Amino acid sequence: MYGADVEQVAIELNEDPQQLEDFEARIARGEKIEPGDWMPKEYRRQLIRMISQHAHSEVVGMLPEGAWITRAPTLRRKLILIAKVQDEGGHGQYLYHAAETLGATREEMLEALLSGKAKYSSIFNYPTLNWADIGTIGWLVDGAAIMNQTMLARASYGPYSRAMVRICMEENFHKKQGQEMVIFYSQGTAKQREMIQDAITRWWWPTLMMFGPHDSDSPNSAVLTRWGIKTRSNDELRQDFINQLVPDLQACGLVIPDPDLHFDEESGNWQIGPIDWDEFWRVVKGIGPRNKERLAARNKAHDDGLWVREALVAYAEKQATS
Amino acid sequence: MPDTQWPRYMVFVQEQEKDPWRHYGTVHAPDADMALLNARDVFARRPQALGMQVVPAKLIFGKTLEELENPNWANEEIIGKSENYLIFAKPFEQSPCEQLGQVKANSSQDALKKALQNFPDQKALWWWVIPGSELSASDDADADSMFAPAFEKTYKNQAEYHTVTLMRELHDTGKLES
Amino acid sequence: MANVLADYLIALADDELILGHRVSEWCGHAPILEEDIAFANIALDEIGHARLWLELAAKELGEDPSTFPDKQAFFRSPADYRNLPLAELPNGDWAFSMLRQYLFDSFELARLEALNQSTHTGLSELAAKIRTEELYHLRHTQAWVLRLAQGTEESQQRSQKALNALWPHAQQFSSPLPAEEELNNEKKVPSSSELFSPWVSHQSDFFDEIGLALPPQTNSIDADRFTHTEHLTELLSDMQEVARLVPEGRW
Repeated sequence: MYGADVEQVAIELNEDPQQLEDFEARIARGEKIEPGDWMPKEYRRQLIRMISQHAHSEVVGMLPEGAWITRAPTLRRKLILIAKVQDEGGHGQYLYHAAETLGATREEMLEALLSGKAKYSSIFNYPTLNWADIGTIGWLVDGAAIMNQTMLARASYGPYSRAMVRICMEENFHKKQGQEMVIFYSQGTAKQREMIQDAITRWWWPTLMMFGPHDSDSPNSAVLTRWGIKTRSNDELRQDFINQLVPDLQACGLVIPDPDLHFDEESGNWQIGPIDWDEFWRVVKGIGPRNKERLAARNKAHDDGLWVREALVAYAEKQATS
Repeated sequence: MPDTQWPRYMVFVQEQEKDPWRHYGTVHAPDADMALLNARDVFARRPQALGMQVVPAKLIFGKTLEELENPNWANEEIIGKSENYLIFAKPFEQSPCEQLGQVKANSSQDALKKALQNFPDQKALWWWVIPGSELSASDDADADSMFAPAFEKTYKNQAEYHTVTLMRELHDTGKLES
Repeated sequence: MANVLADYLIALADDELILGHRVSEWCGHAPILEEDIAFANIALDEIGHARLWLELAAKELGEDPSTFPDKQAFFRSPADYRNLPLAELPNGDWAFSMLRQYLFDSFELARLEALNQSTHTGLSELAAKIRTEELYHLRHTQAWVLRLAQGTEESQQRSQKALNALWPHAQQFSSPLPAEEELNNEKKVPSSSELFSPWVSHQSDFFDEIGLALPPQTNSIDADRFTHTEHLTELLSDMQEVARLVPEGRW
């Protein structure tokens, strides 16, 4: 997942007990499950759901950042942003492929996204309001995604874990280019400092929510953990992220919008104030600031492009029969 | 209106001279020529390719180690005709799926049987046989315009961003040197 | 002498920058994911080329090549831009964008091949480098134009409509770049009008082959690099918005 998996998973285990036992033993031994191997129906179903939603997140994620390509303030930033958005498309492509190895088709997966049935990471339902948001997304949002993806590189399904390894390698520059921007603007002119502070203030909490509900509120899925689909807890990852970012953001002279934020000597952790879970669930359920626009844009591109896709199939068929 | 996302083509890349062909992934494309162009844009975004080949995914005959344990695998409906087949295998999880060689055979099943005989000690998580006549390859002459340009795009390189140095300056002195 | 070559180079850069900007607008909105990735690559190449031409212009002028390109891109007004007006037209549908890109790619390639023979070494070398990327663009856009022209009835109609809209602007390719005549006399650059006739002939053959009809010559729209449409004003106002917010800032 781009962010944590937030759906309630009702897993129906209706398999031959011996086959299931052998399968789980393979995973316990650290073996990867490959396309064509026996797998429980639920394993296939859950993976298709998670992988395709991860792919959707990448593709929808192209939109909030893509909106600023035309306004990038230097040629270098323009090139960097186009390359980043292109990568996101590429990552979506790798992930759709991984889901296809499980039997899903891209037509089905896109239908699910465009109709609103499938989810994507709700971080992309927030608007990008100024140029500094681009740097902030790079450092914070991609930074959080990298942590999640690094964990998923250990997932039990071969094509998914390998897609994650490839994506993590490419994602590094996404985070660093963002961090560079935040550093420069936080040390820049008064106007730039104002812009970047505004961006951090708006993106801090949504980024923390990317790690999903508290472990105590998460759908308790021992099965997913046993199947190597979920390998670390939401709170663990979130705490690692906070510990990494807080000192660096403060060194930039930026204010983190949390009056309760403090360092706890005993645990060695930065403790945060309460997360607004009402907002989180509102955005997940589709009532976020940009949910409608994101889906409308994807639907428009899809609909506008149908004649194009059909034309190329028609041409190929003509060539094949000639 | 039902949609088409175009058929899938499997993509193979030769990274450097003397490297075997490696499986990289798939692209959706309407035909082989467009598949090669798309494969270049999807997989050669970062520099490391000399040549690419594509084949429609549905024409690949594959068996996993597990599937080969069932002795009836060769008795399924015969696929393919008499021709040259390329043999690919994935030895370990961390290793790429690479070309081992090629065999002349009467069908995909025949080709895989021959491959298992020719490479008796080869460990493989799975095997693929690909009919040679269905592969489309990039032209060697095009290598420059297809693959060299990726080297110029240094901004995709994470080493280009000196964030470690910049953060250290901020932590140590509270401001940037330059 | 150094100044006039710089003017020429800046005009070349303007073509790439404005066209690249239009191409980048498709990011996230292309007909299929693979094409989002492919078209983004074309945008990266075009804008990269603009930067390269501007860096060469900086060297000619004795300016700092690390700051000169941005100054040109973000702080000139529309009246000072020297791109072909064809590049600034809004994107239209996929057939329009692809055909426009194809027309540019094919003419540019002809110009680059001629520039590769330039007596100015820097220019000749840069042209050769850019040419390798343009070869790939042309393959891509030509494959598309062919397929759209011959795919379905709808794609054929849209292709014809695009050609009807774009071909009257084709005359612009023959209009000289700044200082072109002088530089041509010194064998540093080719003459655009000399490149134009063989190019038109080649395109006539191509469109004929793929079943599209060229609109009559009488539809020609008179325009050159020194007069721009309101589209450029709108485009630049968008493009330059953030840079001008803090002109002295490090972005």
